Formats: sequence, structure tokens, C-alpha cells
Amino acid sequence: MLSLWWEWISINCGPGQGDCFMTQQTNENRFHLGFLRVALTDQGYVGGLLVTNHLGRPLEFQCTTPVRANRTQQILYGPTLEPFIYSELIGKTLFERLGIKPQVLIICQDSILDVRRQVDIPVVCLLEGTEQTDLPDHLKVAIGSQQFQLHREFTEDLERLNVVQARIPKEADMLEPLERVNDALKETLRAGAVA
Amino acid sequence: MPMSSSSFPSGQPENGIDANSIEIPTVGTILVPGAETTSLNCELRSPDIYATGMNGALKRLPQVETATPGLLGRAGFVPRWKPFWPKIKTFGVNFPAGIEFLPPKKEPGEEETRAIHVPAPKPVDPDAEQRKPTRIKPPSNALSIEDRLFFLLQPPLESWLRGQELIMPFEPFPYQYEGIAWIFSQDAALLADEMGLGKTMQTITALRLLLRAGKVRRVLMVCPKPLIPNWQREFKTWAEEIPVTTVEGGGDRRRMYWNMPGSLVLLANYEAVVRDFQGMEKDEMPQFDMVVLDEAQRIKNRGSNTAATIHTIPRKRSLCLTGTPIENRAEEMISLFEFMKVIPPNATPDIRQLSKLSEEFILRRTKDLVMKDMPPRLDRDEIIDLSPAQRQAYDYAEKEGIIQLNSMGDTVTVQHVFELVLRLKQICNADPLTGESCKLDRLVANMEEIAASGGKAILFSQWTKTIDWLQERTKQFGCLVYHGGVPTAKREPILAQFKNDPKSHIILMSYGTGAVGLNLQFAGYVFLYDRWWNPAIEDQAINRAHRIGVKTQVIVNRLICKNTIEEKIDMVLRQKRELFQRVLGDGDNENASLSLTAGEIFGLFDLRARAGNKSKPIGPPKPKADPAAA
Repeated sequence: MLSLWWEWISINCGPGQGDCFMTQQTNENRFHLGFLRVALTDQGYVGGLLVTNHLGRPLEFQCTTPVRANRTQQILYGPTLEPFIYSELIGKTLFERLGIKPQVLIICQDSILDVRRQVDIPVVCLLEGTEQTDLPDHLKVAIGSQQFQLHREFTEDLERLNVVQARIPKEADMLEPLERVNDALKETLRAGAVA
Repeated sequence: MPMSSSSFPSGQPENGIDANSIEIPTVGTILVPGAETTSLNCELRSPDIYATGMNGALKRLPQVETATPGLLGRAGFVPRWKPFWPKIKTFGVNFPAGIEFLPPKKEPGEEETRAIHVPAPKPVDPDAEQRKPTRIKPPSNALSIEDRLFFLLQPPLESWLRGQELIMPFEPFPYQYEGIAWIFSQDAALLADEMGLGKTMQTITALRLLLRAGKVRRVLMVCPKPLIPNWQREFKTWAEEIPVTTVEGGGDRRRMYWNMPGSLVLLANYEAVVRDFQGMEKDEMPQFDMVVLDEAQRIKNRGSNTAATIHTIPRKRSLCLTGTPIENRAEEMISLFEFMKVIPPNATPDIRQLSKLSEEFILRRTKDLVMKDMPPRLDRDEIIDLSPAQRQAYDYAEKEGIIQLNSMGDTVTVQHVFELVLRLKQICNADPLTGESCKLDRLVANMEEIAASGGKAILFSQWTKTIDWLQERTKQFGCLVYHGGVPTAKREPILAQFKNDPKSHIILMSYGTGAVGLNLQFAGYVFLYDRWWNPAIEDQAINRAHRIGVKTQVIVNRLICKNTIEEKIDMVLRQKRELFQRVLGDGDNENASLSLTAGEIFGLFDLRARAGNKSKPIGPPKPKADPAAA
């Protein structure tokens, strides 16, 4: 029987077999991406934050209950209401709840960009159309197949983003996970999980 | 409230302003909160004045006094606001940590630039319709929000596979992506795609993604024994990084494999599984996250030992693969559904319930429906005249055989008729005395042309003796032989040689061994040297070549001897096939039982028993041409 064990070990643990897979915990090169989205629904503002591995596979998802501003808040916050709700209320809360912290937060709504003041990782927002050419080089970065904008107060993020940029294939669609977040938010609202 | 002071001239100034006309706030003035006040210049100078006798008073500094006035009434409500937001509640879900694999190791001497990625995306045609990425949908029976989010948040298959550095000989077809997504999401599934549509590839890719997503960590793959090398090869092709352990060898060795932790995929044949699990107690059976049954019709009879044992394997997910979910009766699916745990043990669902279960748990696509762009299969019936020696032998054998059968009267059985049919078919293949063969002559003529153009052909026969006989006569085409008599260990190298050796132009196969599970889509020609009883088996054989990945049309030559039993069988089978196509539609004609019935076999000869001066037909009546009866 002992010989059989040795035989098995040689089959499954030999070169090209047993060492051909590893658990995620042992992978030192892993890094995580965060995708944040806030949506205005009939019930109020809801936010979702998806953390994926570098291949886009989901690791964690957090979403908020709907947030509503009352009339006083609407009057007093004025045009700063949405950025406040997006960044300080929803973005910050979701980020704090995360068990797996991403290395970069990717968004597609300008109003969330200020969440960078609340978190200690780079936050980048999709650049569309003419925005790409209008912005100076030190405020934009290409990740995957898209161009992103940095927060003006955190230009030093560019260096950290260059590391992320190098690990993501050029053809990767960085906006697609945000669609998943949108679908997941719809599903949670439909199921009443966050009501 | 700022205090104000003022300078005020007295008398008539030089500028003519009357000092008395300036309004000076007096000490007693009530200062109203919020009222506008004026700041005055308080620099005091000695004014130029006329001597009036009262100038001394003018030189005195003015006396300014302050006093705190009392409020006119009680203070009213002062609105006050401090930013306050209720604490936001959140809902979170974590997903299982999957397994990440290292890229496969390179063989020594292997080129550094060996491509292991998906083929580069083709240049995008702006006019072409952009295909929607394949998203995984939550199954209808996934009720918890956590489960539903797990499926919803998975990336689209196209980008997921691309990110895995998957070895893809070709980009999966859209229907294959759908199949992979469906298998991924279903705990119980029966993939019943028509043969040749890539059930194997879809299964392996779904397994690969399930392993990476952490949904499964231990999988048992059960298949017929001859298909073990095929699965090993397919895993090597589609998921090189996944270690597959084949359960084989003696009892002790197999027991070790069953109990060894850490094996991701165990590959075993039905016989070994049944033998080993029968001898195990329930609590000592190995646990699996997923059990896959290839050719799952093996358990269609739930009273069988195989079905009963397979049903007991502890598992969380069940997947059945078969191209023929129903071979004869709809009830055959009940055993498969029981294995899939979608009906209770020993349940007897009626046809309506079966139909509902089928909609939910069976995915079936036919080639006609999904492979519209596949190169066509061209069927050619080559009707050949027997050589003189064959004709003589054939006529003699037929005449003697019929006389013999007639003389047996009502005692004749289908076996007797069957034997005569086999004898006549063998003569059609070759004359036993002289070795003359019109089929061989035609084959050699065709092969010379095929070999000259660098093509490859597969030849099927039902007899291994015929194959061995042909081997001697087709050596000039680099002939290879693949049938049940070839040891299992030697079969794979034979297939590899046929694929890679440019001098090897033909492989001779038996229907029994070569018709199932092989991928030979590089062969552009198929010869059916003799006919099988069931066209579905012939189709399976032809589909070894005419399957996904085929680049050119496949030409199928059926060699049929004129004015022989082969022509009669062909006619009967053709009529049956046409009938079923009319009834079931073009897309799904393989579910029908197309084998010859006893009545049809008797009908191949006009057998009559004498009854006095008269004669009466022998054998069971021919079936009526009634679709329902069929």
C-alpha cells in the first residue's frame, strides 16, 4: 500500500501535475480591482461596490440600502448634494465595509470622484469623448482599453496606477464589471435584500 | 453694534452748511437691532469761530455715553440645522475562493513562443453585428440572493476565458458559450446536444470555470471504457492545467485513488465505478462536488445494477451527457432525472411532468439548427455491380439460403434470417473463394485520387475480419487499423499517427469502436464499406469527421452492391428515415429508433411456407407505415 501512496504522489505531485495549481492565498502576485457605481432609483440612491481579482472574477460585493435626501437636505446641499451622497455617504461606507480591499477603484460617474478624499487608494473615472484630449497627461491614465481621469488633488496616484496598468491586458474592458454592478443592484432591489 | 460718534460744527460754517441742520444721533436714540448705522469721522479739531461770548462751550469735548437697551419682547424661534444622515445599512456577499492555476509547464525543447492564448481576435468589421457577450444567468431554482448574485456577478464568458490564457484550438461558437454558461449555473443538467456539437469541450470548459470559481473542487467523470483515452486527450487539449487522475488498475490501486484527497478530476469507466461503489458502505463512499456521466443513456434502465449504483454516489451537482436522451421511450429519461435528483427516488412522472422537467433541465441543440455555417456533408451512394465471382457466389448463397429457410416453415426465427443476411453481406464485401471485391476495386480507385491530393479518409466496416483483410490490400495508402482487437494503450498513438503522418491516408475502423467519441475532423472522406443496421450508428460514425472544426466539406461514400441485400436494406432504412424526418422534423431525427424490426428483416426475403398446394408468408407481419405506430 505504501508503494501505491508513493506512486500516487509521483503522479499527482510530480513536475507538471501536483504543482500546477495553487490556491489563491498563495498567489503573491494577485491584486484586486474595485468597481463602484451609484444609481438613482425610485427608492433613492443605492450604491454597489464589486471587488474582483485581476481576471475580473468576483470576490466580494457590497451594496447599500437606498438613501433619500429630505427637502431640507436638498435645499441646503444644493448642487453639492449628489457628490456628497455619492462619495461621503455611499462610497466611503461601502469601502469601509469591504473585507477585501482593492488596489484601485474604478468608476464611471464624475460625482463619485471625490470619494478619493475618503479612501487611501487611487480612484479613476472614465474619460469620454473630448475629455480625453482636454485633460493634461498627468491627470489621465489608460487602463485596459479605456482612458481614465485621476482626481486633481491626488496626481501622485499616477505612479501607483502605472503598476496596475502594467498588469491589465490592453484589450480588457474595464467598464464591463460596472454593468455587472448595475445588474446586481437591480437584483438586490428586486429581491428586497437591501430594502 | 458699533458705536458712532460725530463732530458737529456750530454756527454758520464757511461752506455755508447750517450746523443745526445736521441730524445728530442723541444718546437717547433707540438702536434697533439690524438697523443701518453710519460711521462718522471722530477727529476733533478746533473750529474757526467767531467770538460770540459762548465759545467756551464749543471748545468742550462732547459727552458721549452708552447704554444697553432692553429687548422689546421675548426672543422668538431661531431655526438651527446641523448636518445629520442616518447610518447607511449595507448588504454584502463574499464569493468562494477559487483555484488559480499556473500556466502549463513547457516541455523541454519547446518553443518559447508557443501560443497558449485564445486566437487573436479577428479584426472587427464595422458592418458586422456586434455579438452580445454571454452572461451567466442565475438558474430558476436559485432562490437565495447570495446564489443569484454569484451567477450575476460572474464576468461574461468571452472575457473570462480570454483572461484564463486558455488553450483554444478555435473560438467557441455562440451556442457553445451558451452551453458552458448553462452547465456552469445548473446543479442538475442534461446536455443532450446532437453528436458533433462539442459536448465534451463545453463540459470541460464549464468544469474549468467551476474549479476556478471555487464552486467545485472534486469531480468524478464516468464514461465508457473505450472513451477514457478520448477524455484524457480532450482534457489535455482544453484544460491542460487541470490534473486528471484516471481510476484504473487493480482493486487496491483503485481504492487508493477513490480515497486520495486533492485529486481535482477523477476519470473512471462505468464498470469500475459500479464494481467499487457496490463494495463500499454509504459512509465510506468518496464525496464529490460534481459527477458527470458521459453516454448517460447507460443508466436509462433504473432497475439495472449500473443505474442503481451510480444513483448512490454522493454528490452536490449532477451532469449527464448524451446525444440520444431517448433511444426508444420517453420513460428512459426518468432514470436520468432520478440521478439528477430532480425527481424523488422511484417516482413515476407522467409524460406531461417529464416534458416540464425536460424544459428546465435538458439543453439540446441539433446541428441543423446551430451549425448553419458548417461545411456541408455530401452523401454519395455508390451503387456497384458485383464482380462475376461475387455474383455467382451471392446468387448461389441466396438461393440455397432461401430454400433452406422456406423448408423450415414456421419454425424459422429472425436469427435464421439474420444469419443469411450476414452471409450475403459478407459476399458483397468480397468473394470468399477468389477474394474478388468490387468494393475494394472502387475503394482503391477513390483512394488513389484522395492520396494524390493529400487527403485523408476513414473507412467503417462492421467486421474486424473485413478490416484486417482490407489492411493487407490498402498498405500503399499508409493504412492504419482501429478496432476492438487493438489494445487500448495502442489506440491513441494510432489516432495521432493518422492525424500527423502525411503518408497515412486511410484508417480502417469498426463501427463499434470507432463510431463514438473520436474527433477526426481533419478527414475529408468517409467510406461506409458495409451498412450498419441502424442509420443513427452510421451517422455517429460519419460525425467523427463531420463535426465542429471541420474546415472543408465531408464526402460520405456508401458502398452498396447492386441487386443485393444491401440495396434492399438501404431502401428500407431510407424509407424509415424519411418517415421519421417528416414526423419529427429535420432538426431532430436521431431520437427515433431506426433499427430494423424483426418484421422488416423477414421482409427482406419473400419467405413462404408451403401449406398444401398453397403457400403463406413466414414471419411477423410488416409494420404499417403509420408514424404513430412507428
